[in-house]
Amino acid sequence: MEKNKFSITLRVWKQKDASSKGYFESYKVEGIIPDMSFLEMIDVLNEKLIKQGKEPIFFESDCREGICGCCGFVVDGNPHGPDEHSTVCQLHMRRFKEGDVVTIEPFRAKSFPIIKDLIVDRSALDKIIAAGGYISVNVGSAPDANTIPVDKNTAEKAMDYATCIGCGACVASCPNSAAMLFTGAKIAHLAYLPQGKPERTKRVLNMIKVMDSLGFGNCTNEYECEAVCPKEIKVGAIAKMNREFLFANFLSEEEPQLPPVFHKSTVDVPEDE
Amino acid sequence: MLKLDAKIPSGHIEQKWDSYKFNAKLVNPNNRRKFDVIIVGTGLAGASAAASLGEAGYNVMIFTISETPRRAHSIAAQGGINASKNYRYDGDSVYRLFYDTLKGGDYRAREANVYRLAQVSSQIIDHCVATGVPFAREYGGLLDTRSFGGAQLQRTFYARGQTGQQLLLGAYSQMMRQVSEGNVKIFTRREMMDLVVKNGKARGIVVRNLLTGELERYAAHAVLLATGGYSNVFYLSTNAAACNVGAAWSCYKKGAGFANPCFTQIHPTCIPRSGEHQSKLTLMSESLRNDGRVWVPKNKGDKRNPNDIPENERDYYLERMYPAFGNLVPRDIASRAAKKMIDEGRGVGPTGEAVYLDFRDEIKRQGLDKIKEKYGNLFDMYYRITDEDGYKSPMRIYPAPHYTMGGLWVDYNLMSTIPGLFVMGEANFSDHGANRLGASALMQGLADGYFVISSTLPNYLASTKFEEAHIEDSEFNDSENSVRSEIKKLFSIKGNKTPNEFHKELGNIMWENCGMGRSEEKLKKALKLVPSLRDEFRNNLKLVGDEGFNQTLEKAIRVRDFLEFAELLLKDALYRKESCGGHFREESKTPEGEAQRDDENFAHVAVWEYAGENKEAELNKEQLTFEYLKPSTRSYK
Amino acid sequence: MNYLFLFRMIKTSVGRKQLMAVTGLLIASFLFIHLAGNLLLFKGEDWYNGWSELLIANPATIYIEIGLLFLFIIHITMAVWVRTEDLINASYRKYDMSRWHGGRTIGSATMLYTAIIILVYLVFHIIHFRFADKSIGVYQMVVSAFRSPLFVSIYIIGSVALALHLSHGFQSALETLGINHIKYNVYIKIAGYLVAVCMVFFAVISLYFYFGLDLREIADASNIVEMTIE
Repeated sequence: MEKNKFSITLRVWKQKDASSKGYFESYKVEGIIPDMSFLEMIDVLNEKLIKQGKEPIFFESDCREGICGCCGFVVDGNPHGPDEHSTVCQLHMRRFKEGDVVTIEPFRAKSFPIIKDLIVDRSALDKIIAAGGYISVNVGSAPDANTIPVDKNTAEKAMDYATCIGCGACVASCPNSAAMLFTGAKIAHLAYLPQGKPERTKRVLNMIKVMDSLGFGNCTNEYECEAVCPKEIKVGAIAKMNREFLFANFLSEEEPQLPPVFHKSTVDVPEDE
Repeated sequence: MLKLDAKIPSGHIEQKWDSYKFNAKLVNPNNRRKFDVIIVGTGLAGASAAASLGEAGYNVMIFTISETPRRAHSIAAQGGINASKNYRYDGDSVYRLFYDTLKGGDYRAREANVYRLAQVSSQIIDHCVATGVPFAREYGGLLDTRSFGGAQLQRTFYARGQTGQQLLLGAYSQMMRQVSEGNVKIFTRREMMDLVVKNGKARGIVVRNLLTGELERYAAHAVLLATGGYSNVFYLSTNAAACNVGAAWSCYKKGAGFANPCFTQIHPTCIPRSGEHQSKLTLMSESLRNDGRVWVPKNKGDKRNPNDIPENERDYYLERMYPAFGNLVPRDIASRAAKKMIDEGRGVGPTGEAVYLDFRDEIKRQGLDKIKEKYGNLFDMYYRITDEDGYKSPMRIYPAPHYTMGGLWVDYNLMSTIPGLFVMGEANFSDHGANRLGASALMQGLADGYFVISSTLPNYLASTKFEEAHIEDSEFNDSENSVRSEIKKLFSIKGNKTPNEFHKELGNIMWENCGMGRSEEKLKKALKLVPSLRDEFRNNLKLVGDEGFNQTLEKAIRVRDFLEFAELLLKDALYRKESCGGHFREESKTPEGEAQRDDENFAHVAVWEYAGENKEAELNKEQLTFEYLKPSTRSYK
Repeated sequence: MNYLFLFRMIKTSVGRKQLMAVTGLLIASFLFIHLAGNLLLFKGEDWYNGWSELLIANPATIYIEIGLLFLFIIHITMAVWVRTEDLINASYRKYDMSRWHGGRTIGSATMLYTAIIILVYLVFHIIHFRFADKSIGVYQMVVSAFRSPLFVSIYIIGSVALALHLSHGFQSALETLGINHIKYNVYIKIAGYLVAVCMVFFAVISLYFYFGLDLREIADASNIVEMTIE
């Protein structure tokens, strides 16, 4: 069952650091086996480059089974590659054929500055979560888990939105580099659950405020995010966030403050000193 | 000699934890801010510890190797989390979970620790639900549970096939809440390089900023390690690429005892490798064995299409060998049986390193739709990776390293042999003995982080007299300098082999000689091969780039640590002449070929102590006493 | 209590979008009234002139017009604001290979361009009709304009742009206001396209007059009369 080896040309975005100018460099990759994953193909290329004393291609990956959200770049214009609803680590070379020219470039967004080559800084997403993507419960104070029943459909819906892996493909694919699907997914996950209800006003207003301050764009409902999301999160998340916002702005009596860490400055938080 | 005092509280096992908490010293809420705590690792244990200590008011600094805390490998756990809730009224209790865990671990864990784990398990579920983890529910709105290997009841809570992800994101969100409150500071893309010990206490760490390459120092009153396991010593494992032993290894070198490194778990249902390029193995949930039948052809080298092999030429070897449990035997047994088949030359697939997992009969019985509903995502995953349709022809599976029960030795407080160094989660050795049951890893990580450390760390802080420690101290200087010179050394080698090649070679040695079946002969062979590979590494390593952001260098540092650590693992495996749990010594088996435990000589924890460079590690023993459960032989026939 | 919460509608991205959505939907509903009025052209001169006189005579009309103007101003200001931010963002995301992934439609991708066309058209339209010489009667003024190929072309461009704009705008506005339900999403989508098709009727009316179909009908009618006499 020996499958044919083939070769492709890889056009890779190379960029030394955030302030340098980037460019495309072409590599000929030979001896590709269809069963290789795309990242393994780059591994093989990198090994060769290191052997030749050249700098390898910098990219990120961790679990390589599509759940950690670490990998992610754009393959021929598709965040995470041409397979639908999949991460790039799950993309396999059988998708390509002899002689293909494959262009890979980093996620491009104002809020995702390029660190090097295909690696971008997605820490802005963590800041959005820090603004309110949680339920405030202290360890040991929770009531018995079965105290509040949650109907199955609602629980499943919350789970649908909770599956977000934080890869940032939604931002990368959005024509406006908006993080609405990411933010909406977290808000929807918590808003659907009864446990998340007490903090809903604070959560939605603070998360949107911080999201705005980080330079993410606006939503024009083009649903490109939904089309590329590896976890198939639906734009219903954004609608839910919009509803939560309307509720918080017009019906709730609460006027929340941003959490303490955001008081000093809104953009330059929570990591590092 | 290490002082191995487990500090188990006195009293009946059911009261130990409560009496511990009552007797523990407390820190006044106003004083908590004055204590700095360093946590390394943001997985389940690390993130939950940051959350619980942040809530209490300690000043927490948490470090992760990744770009964000949410990448930690806890996220990849699929199956579920055990808890003795007894929501199904099927006879579960704290005592039974304690019993199952201790027995599943082949009686190589500490009773008191395991009992405490079982005790807090139900609080974990309460807390997780309150923090918004969307566990699966029944139509009545209450929590659903399912069964899992090694237990005869349904105590596993789950969130689809992504329980680890949901629990990690839950713990992460709790930690981010403390970040927003200013109690926790996150330091991303930092790899711990060394532990700083001052006046005999762990007082800080030196980390490498992966983006700039700079070495940074952080001082604190206690250091909490939650850096996961070392399965990547086998190169191919189900662990993520970043998982490594470096942080634990540096603590070992600073005097922390390393316990039972040979206890590694091999998971039976992984997707086999497809070739030399393979970078990692993907696990498919154990639940597949509920409906799939495992078989190999009866004849050696049968290369026919599996669907063409008639029933009488198939060997359903698990059902044949273990009629009582059949395809549902525990992980270690299923893995070893698969290896036996492959060693007999009856392996299947292009590499001959796989066995079939066949759903044909169940599809016939239950219908395709039912199987799709139960396992659809796993079949999709299998298809995506192998390009084969598991519904039409049997899946090919093969065991792969998955979890490591061994780790840094800790006492009842989770403190290592270095005062002030606490170890949590997979990184410590404590609760799973020689074999971990499915759905117990998540339970342990959260138990340690949310519930245990938040009681034991204050006791240490309140009862210890602290001297001044500052990052300008000579201990920090020395530590940083040695790390720097080690890195310089790597650059000065200028050889021809990449770090990855060394890692692959190491993995091969370990897998061949210290994988599922271990023998004195093979281990001794490996104990020659590994040091010589290490020597080659020191003379022939090829690096590119500079000391700044350099992924090749990161890999080289991790491989260096694995090369050193592997020897300890082999040594421990050689020392432990019995077979127990995940550790199978071919010399120690029953006449039927099953694992033969030796309680007389090995009912202890083997704790290895660093003796200095190029010196043999010294062995210390913590005798295990079983007051409440008498060791019995595991039988699944 | 912070009574300035209304400002949050312009201070946040979601609020701005919702203002845009509400004003957009209100303008769209005005367009339906407008269309209904236009359809009276089919009914003949008396009906149409009567309708326009009713509007002119009604003292509320001027307030409605001012209201409309405000709606337009808010809608456009928000659009410019949102778009400027998005264009700045877009300058950071220049992919070498750019692709649509299945979410975008022609309508959604051309919102900015259709908006500009509509705005230009609107200015022209207002100058042309609102401030035109109405001495010959509104009906005659409109019909004579529809006889001009230039004007009809402009009219067609305008209404097609409007249709495209609304083909995305309608359901987008609803989504922005949080109206998204698994049971109704398909219907909302269809409704959006129906609204768009309705806007094409503005063009259909002008073509009707351009090709003289109104005259033919009269001619046909006279034929019938003649035939009956015979």
